Amino acid sequence: MWNEITEKLHEVLRNVMPQVDVVLGWERGFNPLRIKPVVVRSEKDISRLVWNPFCVQNLTGYLVKNPAVIAGEGKKVAVCVKGCDSRSLVALIQEHFLDRDRLLIIGVPCQGTIDWRLVMKKIGNTTTVFNAHIEDGILRIEHSGGLEQMSIESVLLRRCLRCAYPNPVIYDVLIGETVTPRIDKSELYRNVAQFEQKSLEERRNFWIDVLSRCVRCYACRNACPLCICQDWCIAERRDPKWVTQRPTIKDIFIFHSIHALHLAGRCTECGECERVCPVGIPVMFIKEKLNEINLRLFSYEAGLDPQAVPPLLTFNPHEAGI
Amino acid sequence: MTPAKKAKKKIEEKIFIPQEKLNEVLERLSKHFRVWVPVLSSSSNGWTVEFRPFTIESEPFFTRQSTMPPKSVILPQGETLFQYEYVKNSDDPSKQDLILKETINAEKTLVFGARPCDVRGFVICDWVFLRGLYLDVYYKSRRENTLFATLVCQDADDACFCSSVGGGPGDMEGSDIRITSTSEGFVLEGLNDRAKEVISLCECDPPSEEQSRDAQRIQEEAKNRIIGSLDVSGSVEAVKGQFQNMGVWRDIAESCLSCGVCTYVCPTCYCFTITDEIQGLKGERLRSWDSCMFHQYTQEASGHNPRPTKLERYRNRLGHKFCYFPLRYGGVIACCGCGRCIRSCPVSIDIRSAVERVKEVHSNACVCS
Ligand code: SF4
Ligand code: SF4
Ligand code: SF4
Ligand code: SF4
Ligand code: SF4
Repeated sequence: MWNEITEKLHEVLRNVMPQVDVVLGWERGFNPLRIKPVVVRSEKDISRLVWNPFCVQNLTGYLVKNPAVIAGEGKKVAVCVKGCDSRSLVALIQEHFLDRDRLLIIGVPCQGTIDWRLVMKKIGNTTTVFNAHIEDGILRIEHSGGLEQMSIESVLLRRCLRCAYPNPVIYDVLIGETVTPRIDKSELYRNVAQFEQKSLEERRNFWIDVLSRCVRCYACRNACPLCICQDWCIAERRDPKWVTQRPTIKDIFIFHSIHALHLAGRCTECGECERVCPVGIPVMFIKEKLNEINLRLFSYEAGLDPQAVPPLLTFNPHEAGI
Repeated sequence: MTPAKKAKKKIEEKIFIPQEKLNEVLERLSKHFRVWVPVLSSSSNGWTVEFRPFTIESEPFFTRQSTMPPKSVILPQGETLFQYEYVKNSDDPSKQDLILKETINAEKTLVFGARPCDVRGFVICDWVFLRGLYLDVYYKSRRENTLFATLVCQDADDACFCSSVGGGPGDMEGSDIRITSTSEGFVLEGLNDRAKEVISLCECDPPSEEQSRDAQRIQEEAKNRIIGSLDVSGSVEAVKGQFQNMGVWRDIAESCLSCGVCTYVCPTCYCFTITDEIQGLKGERLRSWDSCMFHQYTQEASGHNPRPTKLERYRNRLGHKFCYFPLRYGGVIACCGCGRCIRSCPVSIDIRSAVERVKEVHSNACVCS
């Protein structure tokens, strides 16, 4: 099935190539579990592109982060998006970082993306992975230690287990049939609600425990398509200096609070911040809480309507709810 | 214990720690050393393995390379170089005196369960901190007070390439004790005089003949295994030759996020920044990890940045390891082949294929000219 979708993608791209001069997609990395983003600039390279549940990266950040992938005069950039990625695009369009007319959005309804770490944990890590095949929700891995089967559900990224928007919300071409979301919108913040059952003490200890592992590599920030301060992030500014370089929980907490607050009402829950963290800190969870507040106060969900204005980007003294 | 037996124990250089006795032994060692062991970190997706100081609750985890190397044992993420305080001069109130306080740390330390690549990381860093233009007293004091009990590695995966850069799964360069993990426990062998104290503190029996044989077999296997197939020869000339060819760096690093993951998980990335962290009249000079993948790293006061984009930054990371370092330090490649940067890169950039690509482009260019 994924081979067919990949072929369909190639076909679509060959057809639109006269309009576009760059394509943002995914190609195979150093093993079948590891896919990498690729920028394709000529028709002959289209065959490098793949589309399958290992295509974890959200590519939309490349459209805005320096050096941004942009199209030549009169041309468009074709960008491949899953459901969550498409919401990032909407947010970037809302905030005028992107011009909708210069994009050719290729959407694929998403059945969930796979966390390579969970797969490696299941097959044992001392192996070389030769092949990964997905059929009917079952992942079959051929590796140097033999053959292993597992259900896709058991190796999905956390973001995918709580995804209510697997179908692209904005696109020019849609490849494949739409899928049923894993959860309903009303359940989006059940994990937040559950967590809030815990005592303040427990919650505090949880965050101290997980955040104290943060090495301040800032991958969570750099991978976020909506973290647009980029090289001017206050985490590293020296003049004025806001955060010290000390690796203490206080400083780490300040960084993450700032990161989260800058995303309040803008975060589209693509989960990239959490996926890229080398030490497995669930940083999206902080943003989920902010989004839950956002939904409660402003009835607003980020990245759904290109015409809407995110609540914290506007000022309305008569705002209901505050 | 009879004195005769005790004397015998003292000269024992090979011992066996049964699996179930490990924590007991480590607890004993902790009374004399700060002992670091790899452990699964709590509440992540059950993947991250880090080195942490041993406590009796620790569950040492030895069947997968750690996510973060033991680099922070010698090069902590943040290290106070000294503390200072401004005080009023009692003779002349218009003047201020500066009081400096030394904070150098030299605790006796044992890293239990590092891998050959992890230790090779320090052997490489030694060139910079101990054998280069400057002697770094902070690094030196930690390094001299730290012993490495290193696992014969049986856990290579498809990102490892230690054999390509002068190491190997059985390589014991820089280690004091060899640990061979067998089905029932661990065979420990002292590799130098420094090891003797640790071995005797373990208070364990020598391995049985069978345990010895087991260990030997595992060591033989490790010695004969070739991990990785990167050919680093010619990397120096290739990087120099292709320095200005931004096309090749774009091919390699266009998808890079310019995050610090690859540098922070790398045992041989030692770059740091120095800041004064001051509050009121008291402060400390702090040395903390920095990354050449960051914009700020080369930002000049004028506003100019000689490495304005991720392409120049990635070129630097690769160039440093495979060109500038060997040029300066007698041909030593500043990479231990641990594969961490490959495994942990959020966009799966592979430094092995990057080196190959630069070499390939360079050799093609050479033919043409
Ligand atoms: S904060 Fe995290 S989940 Fe939200 S948009 Fe950014 S990367 Fe995605
Ligand atoms: S990616 Fe993880 S380790 Fe890096 S700064 Fe973010 S939370 Fe910290
Ligand atoms: S190579 Fe990978 S890990 Fe390193 S800075 Fe680029 S994206 Fe981050
Ligand atoms: S460059 Fe990569 S493979 Fe080499 S030592 Fe650093 S992390 Fe390991
Ligand atoms: S690089 Fe070599 S020593 Fe290190 S984990 Fe891999 S096989 Fe083991």
